[in-house]
Amino acid sequence: MAVPAALTEDQIYHRCPPEKLDFETTEKLDDLELPFGQDRMLRALEFGASMAASGFNLFVLGPTGAGKHELVKRFLANHASGKPVPPDWCHLFNFLQSDKPNAIELPPGDGRTFRNDMNDLVSELKTVIPATFESEEYQSRIQELQEEVNRRQQKGLLVIQEEANANNIAMVSTPAGFSFAPMRNGEVIEPEKYETLSDEEKELVEAKVDDLQKKLQQAIQQVPRLRKEVRERIHQLNEEMVQLTLGGPIGELREKWAHVPAVVVHLDAVREDIVEHAEAFQDDENGAPAGLLNRYRVNLLVDNADTRGAPVVYEDLPNHQHLSGQIEHRARQGNLYTDFTLIRAGSLHRANGGYLILDARRILTQPLAWESLKRILFSGEIRIESLERLYGLATTVSQQPEPIPLNVKVVLLGERMLYYLLSHYDPDFLDLFKVEADFEDDLDRDNASYMLYARMIATMARASGLKVLDKAAVARVIEHASRLASDQKKLTAHDRVLKDLLAEADHWASQAGEGHIGVEQVQQAIDEREYRASRIRERSLEQIRRGVMMIATEGAQVGQVNGLSVLQIGATRFGQPTRITATARPGKGQVVDIEREAKLGGPIHSKAVMILSRFLANRYAPMGELSLSASLAFEQSYGGVEGDSASVAETCVLLSAITGVPLKQSLAVTGSMNQHGEVQAVGGVNEKIEGFFNVCAQSGGVDGQGALLPASNLEHLMLNEQVREAVREGRFSVYPLSHIDQAIELMTGMEAGVPGTDGVYPESTFNRLVADRLAEFADVSKKKDDDKANSSGGNGGDNNRDD
Amino acid sequence: MVTTTATTDKPKAPMPAGRVLILLDGSRLSLAALEAAGEIASARNADVLGIFVEETNLLRAAGYGFAREVGGSSGLARPLEAAALEARMQALAEQARRSLQQTMARRGLAQTLKLCRGRVAKEVLNLMQPEDLVVLGRVGWSGIPGTRLGSTARVLLRQAPGDVLLWAEPRPRRQNRVVVLLNHDQGANHRAVRVGAELARRSNQPLSVLIHTRPEDDQSVAEDILTYLQREGIAARVKRIPVASAGAAVRVLQEEGATQLVVSRTSNLFTDQGAEALLSELNLPITVTP
Repeated sequence: MAVPAALTEDQIYHRCPPEKLDFETTEKLDDLELPFGQDRMLRALEFGASMAASGFNLFVLGPTGAGKHELVKRFLANHASGKPVPPDWCHLFNFLQSDKPNAIELPPGDGRTFRNDMNDLVSELKTVIPATFESEEYQSRIQELQEEVNRRQQKGLLVIQEEANANNIAMVSTPAGFSFAPMRNGEVIEPEKYETLSDEEKELVEAKVDDLQKKLQQAIQQVPRLRKEVRERIHQLNEEMVQLTLGGPIGELREKWAHVPAVVVHLDAVREDIVEHAEAFQDDENGAPAGLLNRYRVNLLVDNADTRGAPVVYEDLPNHQHLSGQIEHRARQGNLYTDFTLIRAGSLHRANGGYLILDARRILTQPLAWESLKRILFSGEIRIESLERLYGLATTVSQQPEPIPLNVKVVLLGERMLYYLLSHYDPDFLDLFKVEADFEDDLDRDNASYMLYARMIATMARASGLKVLDKAAVARVIEHASRLASDQKKLTAHDRVLKDLLAEADHWASQAGEGHIGVEQVQQAIDEREYRASRIRERSLEQIRRGVMMIATEGAQVGQVNGLSVLQIGATRFGQPTRITATARPGKGQVVDIEREAKLGGPIHSKAVMILSRFLANRYAPMGELSLSASLAFEQSYGGVEGDSASVAETCVLLSAITGVPLKQSLAVTGSMNQHGEVQAVGGVNEKIEGFFNVCAQSGGVDGQGALLPASNLEHLMLNEQVREAVREGRFSVYPLSHIDQAIELMTGMEAGVPGTDGVYPESTFNRLVADRLAEFADVSKKKDDDKANSSGGNGGDNNRDD
Repeated sequence: MVTTTATTDKPKAPMPAGRVLILLDGSRLSLAALEAAGEIASARNADVLGIFVEETNLLRAAGYGFAREVGGSSGLARPLEAAALEARMQALAEQARRSLQQTMARRGLAQTLKLCRGRVAKEVLNLMQPEDLVVLGRVGWSGIPGTRLGSTARVLLRQAPGDVLLWAEPRPRRQNRVVVLLNHDQGANHRAVRVGAELARRSNQPLSVLIHTRPEDDQSVAEDILTYLQREGIAARVKRIPVASAGAAVRVLQEEGATQLVVSRTSNLFTDQGAEALLSELNLPITVTP
């Protein structure tokens, strides 16, 4: 197999062609309204925002810092501006059930007018009704009523008095009532004289007195009924007077609000209530109690007077109360009171008829908020209930406002993981959030995208108030965006990282006194950023330089190779070489993965080692036994190993251990391998190569070193300037691998060898060496087995057969 | 209620030298009238004579074995016993004495309580001199519920030789005027105007004089009264009103915002049959001059 040629500088770095950028500075570039390359997400948004059916709420998923929030807000604001303004909502006192305030819908802007109208009415009531009661008309009518009752009351008594007088009996007033006694010439007869009367006369008198007493009793006992009657008639009069007084103001309002039947109904109820409570307005000292008047006021829950188009609301603290609204209380002398005027709208109320943007992570971390949101979306109406009431923790009397019908699009923003977890674990989730709008992490880098990306950068700089960028700076940002995407054919779509980079470059430009951002400032921003995060990397390099961590970058060694790994700490990633060693001796066809045995290896790594052991068996002992006991270890690795990117290196080092052929220590290897020996792509190639390069540079300079990587990773290379310089000068080489044999040839300098038609590798090739060596191992093992079988009575057979 | 803000800086009119007689029966209204009498007596620096009359008819009625007292509010009948009634009358008299003493002692006035037995109106008329003022509640405890003018008041109104003040507790109103109601051709006008002027000065209220006038009557009467009042230093207005029924007069009084009324007994108001009832509707203190 031919050894691959080392890559050229152009292959390891995809420059931004200057001719694709048709401008001098970003000043001339137009803003980009919507991001490019996010067509899938935009179509999903468009669909979700327009889809009327219930359950078609949106979940916008993408990595944090991708600019989801800003984009969604901008998109929805744009989309909503053409939609109708939703109605206003008011809570009104319910005169039938005082703890269940009514909710009424009003055309947008009318809510405010209605509230003012009712406030005016209340002010008017305060003066008009007492004035009615003070009027001479009312006073004289009341007096008439009382006189009439008095007359009727007196009449009964006077009749009795007259009857008594006619019978010569006096009706005498006593301190507590009346008494009857016989009378002559207007004076009560002295009891002594009365005794002289005949028995018949006395009998007549006493019978009459008795009769009169009974009549008097009856007459007096009529009095309470009369009083009740007068009370009723006074009440009737009050109603009549108030009814007439209210005719004007309420009539006007009725006419004004004839287009809203609910208001008319309410006005009628208000009138009824005022009439019913007319007496309360009679208090000259204090006027009508405030509590009574407040019942006629309007609690304007949702005011869309100033809303243009459909509302777009972002709730930054999406807890239960903020979403569904709450009922506040007023403390008065240590007691808590509430009424319908203390009902407060939630963000769902405000967003009703439009869009509500929520952060998925935040709503999930607020206790019970997610459940509340789902319940409201399912029921299609907003019912304001306090949490303590909802969960039966408080049973005090409170308000239960009439639910308000809900028509809102909820747009959740969150990471992909949340979306997938919710889909998996919450059975309601997909019922309610049927539209997924998935953000692209990376954008395609092609001829058409250069200018668009440049405009995106220009838009960002302008929006953040940064200096303009010149052409070279934009080109450098584009190249860096490719590096961030770890792909020559992609550009990162990560909004935050780019913005930060531009802001830092702007800072350095200001420091340097530049009027615009040049390529130097962009480079400085990248370098400074890297430097700030470099403490651990520097420490690691120092360990290698001082020999604490043993890495060889020159010479050749049997059973030892430089693998490449990537460390990620926080937001920074860097690569570093790791020494992988192997041992081999005859045995029962097993490759011991020391990392796994020590429980420092992950499952993917174990899988890779198993693949490589099957590769060995299949390739070098297809018909016979693989008599091998080998071991593999990552030296000085104490933190665990995961991934299969070391399998090419492990294969090389194992074969070196079997054959005793030394491997070049100036080359580092990365790449995964399948059972047929084909090399497969891995991640983090840029960091790995740069990491090895840095180690070489620190330990005696870069001179003839290189790195091997899968050919399929070629497009992922965006290596830094130092590496490119070394490649340009031929001091450092990067080789693409497509098969394990290429790695063997590069590492050993020997021909790998292709088996002939008989399946045997040609003489003096590396593979022949391996096959021969393994055959030797097999012989040794067989001999050992035979001896063992003989000594144990010859029941050998195939019990030590390797498979 | 008459206020105590009597002004002393204004020129004092010659005060009637008579006593102030106050009828006491222990009822709530008689106690209110007692306060008013105290005020008047204090302003006039007059002696006060309290009168408590034990009604003969009542005492006699209690002497009958079959006598029952029917409760004025409850309508329940219970035996009326002479001994119990005596005790009650004594207690009432004692209470009247105490109230009188307290009220007058506060103002440093000399007072006497006259206890007598007989018919109330007759006893009062016996005790009264022409220059005296008798003060009484419009109704006592001895009233049919709803009555606005008791029997004693009725008699005194027509027969008393001096001024009679029928006390009532008026509702507080915003307007406060002392109103004197006169006939055009009336010899007793002067006394009524004088009493009205005194009242107005004492209670610090404006005065209105309303004169029933026929179109053909001389206009000078009104001017004379006004001149007199101006000389006395009293803020007053004099109005001529047409001669009409008692009901019309009452309406005029209401319009005028009267809180106290002074009227002569000879006023043609009293010739009207329903005058008393109408007067009683006014529910304000009325001074009737002979």
